[in-house]
Amino acid sequence: MFVLYRSLKYFVLLVWSAFVALPFLWALTTSFKTANGVVSGATYIPWLQYEPSLEGWKVLFRGEGKGIDIITPYLNSLTVTLSASFISLLLGTLAAYGLSRFSWRAGPIRNADITFFFISQRIMPPIVLSIPFFLMLRMLGLLDSRAGLVLVYIALLMPIVVWVMVDFFNNIPRELDETAMLDGCGPLETFWRVILPNCKPGLVVAGLFCIVFGWNDFFFAFILTFTETQLLPVAIVSLNSSVTPWWSLSASSLIAVVPLVILAFVIEKYLSSGNLAGAIK
Amino acid sequence: MARIELKDVGHCYGPAGGRLEDYALQPFSHVWEDGGAYALLGPSGCGKTTFLNIISGLVHPTRGRVLFDGRDVTALATAQRNIAQVFQFPVIYKTKTVHDNLAFPLRCRNVEETEIRRRVQEVAALLNLESSLKKPARQLTADAKQLISLGRGLVREDVAAILLDEPLTVIDPQQKWLLRRKLKEINTALKQTMVYVTHDQNEAMTFADHVAVMDQGKVMQIGTPQELFECPQHTFVGWFIGSPAMNILPCTVAEGGVMIKDKKVPLPALAKAAATAAGALELGIRPEFVQISDTPGAGALGVDIREIENLGNYNIVMLDLDGLEIKAKISVGNPLPDRKAFIRLPEKSTHIYASGQRLNPGT
Amino acid sequence: MSLILEAVGSMAEDQMHLADINLTFEKGAFYVVLGATLAGKTSLLRLLSGLDQPTSGAITMDGRNIVEVPVWKRRVSMVYQQFINYPHLDVRANIAFPLQRAGLPGDEIDARINEVTALLGIGELLRRRPGELSGGQQQRVALARSLVKNADLLLLDEPLVNLDYKLREQLRPEFRSLFGNNTSAIIVYSTTEPLEALMLGGRIIILDEGRVLQTGDVHEAFHNPACETVARVFNDPPMNMISADVAGERIILGDGLVLPRSGHLAGLPPGPCRIGIRANDLNLEQSAADDMELAAEVQLSEVNGSETYIHIHHNEVSWVVREDGVHSYALGSGIRIRFNPGRLFAFSSADGRLLAAPDNLVSGSAVMEG
Repeated sequence: MFVLYRSLKYFVLLVWSAFVALPFLWALTTSFKTANGVVSGATYIPWLQYEPSLEGWKVLFRGEGKGIDIITPYLNSLTVTLSASFISLLLGTLAAYGLSRFSWRAGPIRNADITFFFISQRIMPPIVLSIPFFLMLRMLGLLDSRAGLVLVYIALLMPIVVWVMVDFFNNIPRELDETAMLDGCGPLETFWRVILPNCKPGLVVAGLFCIVFGWNDFFFAFILTFTETQLLPVAIVSLNSSVTPWWSLSASSLIAVVPLVILAFVIEKYLSSGNLAGAIK
Repeated sequence: MARIELKDVGHCYGPAGGRLEDYALQPFSHVWEDGGAYALLGPSGCGKTTFLNIISGLVHPTRGRVLFDGRDVTALATAQRNIAQVFQFPVIYKTKTVHDNLAFPLRCRNVEETEIRRRVQEVAALLNLESSLKKPARQLTADAKQLISLGRGLVREDVAAILLDEPLTVIDPQQKWLLRRKLKEINTALKQTMVYVTHDQNEAMTFADHVAVMDQGKVMQIGTPQELFECPQHTFVGWFIGSPAMNILPCTVAEGGVMIKDKKVPLPALAKAAATAAGALELGIRPEFVQISDTPGAGALGVDIREIENLGNYNIVMLDLDGLEIKAKISVGNPLPDRKAFIRLPEKSTHIYASGQRLNPGT
Repeated sequence: MSLILEAVGSMAEDQMHLADINLTFEKGAFYVVLGATLAGKTSLLRLLSGLDQPTSGAITMDGRNIVEVPVWKRRVSMVYQQFINYPHLDVRANIAFPLQRAGLPGDEIDARINEVTALLGIGELLRRRPGELSGGQQQRVALARSLVKNADLLLLDEPLVNLDYKLREQLRPEFRSLFGNNTSAIIVYSTTEPLEALMLGGRIIILDEGRVLQTGDVHEAFHNPACETVARVFNDPPMNMISADVAGERIILGDGLVLPRSGHLAGLPPGPCRIGIRANDLNLEQSAADDMELAAEVQLSEVNGSETYIHIHHNEVSWVVREDGVHSYALGSGIRIRFNPGRLFAFSSADGRLLAAPDNLVSGSAVMEG
């Protein structure tokens, strides 16, 4: 009985691991194939029966004079994602703290309404937002620039940060702020020294969301940038041509996924060290 | 309604067969008679939740057997045991009316609708909820909600026992006595076996006819509230029950008496009981029973009065016997000596303990 | 140093929290604020701390208006009912926090931490986080953090209410000795429990529905409650009350009992009044020849510590009798209650004012305190 249960458990785990890992393996092998290798198919084992080639990878680094330069979009994506995430976290957390701790009133509008107003911005489909964003960036002369994209991402990410963090702050007893003030901290010092250190789990969740969104966004990057500034997802798509270059698409996807995988490992470590559990009793 | 019998029941969360000290609940046997009001009392982590879970079937004991009316239910799951449970926080269906809340357990069991109405009426009458039967349950006060949680257990006629796990946590302190009274009334009227689990001695001793006091996985004593108070079988019980706690004084045995700090107290029966006992000896007496006077006499111990706490209706007098602290509780109005005093320890209210366990002077 | 509240009122969301509060707090004194839940105790403490501002009236410290002084510039400590410590700091860093904010040098901080942790018996816990401690330990840490500052004003808002009764029993005498030697600060301690107030001593402020009903020495107030409400709030169980009518030389209680209008009750004006008697003064045994006696029915016997409270019912009157020791009585059983007319209180039925109180029984402590 026990043995059966254990083998069943391992079997399920095995199937699940294969389900998760195989697409990556597939992309990896494809990235080393040529057109022939992809199309012709294999007799027995598709991952082994082909002629390895670096063609797919060379294209990404302007190998032999053709292809694209993936490094610049890569750095662009990093810069835009990190700066937009950082600013969203900073402003969003402050806004959320204000919404959680002080009462605001504008006519019938109260704190809860303001919080909802923030998150309601994300109810609209992105396509609705794209035209106003385009017009606004054009007015500011920020079309096709990293700064413009950072602005747009902040507008999209901050509501999420506010939403996550308001909930988090509401769960921290107000008496903790008061104690800090009684102990001699002004309001900003209270926030910085006492409240923020106790919000790490919330910051991690909100930050993770920002980074993943910023890194993966294709839609706004595609509409708001053209030639001067290119982000990674747009650059990858631009590899496409009438004959789909599976090999270079696979290679670029793998490169694109690397930062997120690293992030996942870091977070996983943070999670398993019990930092998220019981931060506030 | 059932008689609950525990035969050598013990539980260990680690691997079975470990040392006895590792048991979350050390093996013991006991019988709870049908229709009684019982309580499990102890500080947090004493094993009372494990005990409760063994009865409800959430935990299957490492050893021993649980019998309901003689039927072995040790291996049965919670659902098959017909146990009703009331938790710390009221569990109610907020959108349903009070009536539907009470009817729910019966509807789940496909009881006929006329029968359901009869049972719900009966229970509602008992709980004084008749006037609010049609109201949505969410509109009720905390204590009424808690009564509904209890009522859902009462509507079922096949319930073996009702387990109450700290049921008065959310009740306003001023309202508590009314609900305590209600619980006692229900127990008397319906003769349901009820087991009340709490860390609060007042809750346990007010509700139950028999209280099991637990500490560190061990059942220290099972008895009526009065027995626990007047005759604690273990120094832990003496400390845990009553406020202020029992005075526990290290002592030795001498000819015809007990020695406390080189002073002899004439307690012949206790001395005899302790003559052959092994382990450290201690004398236990509650502050209520310490007699205090300003005149020396046979068997009186000279003490210094260190401090007097005037608590309005009575004084707690802190006495110093060569460095040992003894508390005495004296009614206001009784004269108190100045600085020096003499105390007597009446033998019938004084107990002697070896390694914490009471020695019975009767044998 | 004295802290004075003049005609202070506090409203929030159109609800009155405190009204017309006039109080003076002196340095080196210990004050107990006693009142039922929602009586305004926390509101009062928050006004004193500066966390909340009054909606009317003035709060002055040595003649200087301090209403506008922000909390972080005052020298105030507060211990809450909840165990509030900085979760991200260990115990040592928690206690050091206010000292570091005040910019004290490191060796001074060390010295003070050693002193206060020894005093509260938490020296072993310095490297632990608050989340790893039991409730009692957490509250000790919060208390240590409040004491270490040597604040001018130390506020304790029902600090024991969330601890189990054995811990309360252990901490009360500790508080008594901790606060007994205070000479430099104003200490204000709020509680719902009369017993705690009596045990801690000092001066009492009795609050009810946002108003101050009585101030003065704790024991003095216990023996001479200013009004019926004080008599109820300042007794556990609350003082038993019954309507009565004074006619000629007799006092007729609402349930038919007749008392002579003599002794301390001789001066009662004719007409209706309210008679009160402490649960403690209702006895099961006869203690004197002129005891009054009544037969009643047991509603419930409750155990409270080492005492039994017997709720009784007699002709529409519901009273509570306090009996020493633990006893049980069956619901509905008959019981005979005696009381000495010399132990009765009388209150005005118009405004609840105290009309007559029994003579204070001379107790040993009263003699000793001299």
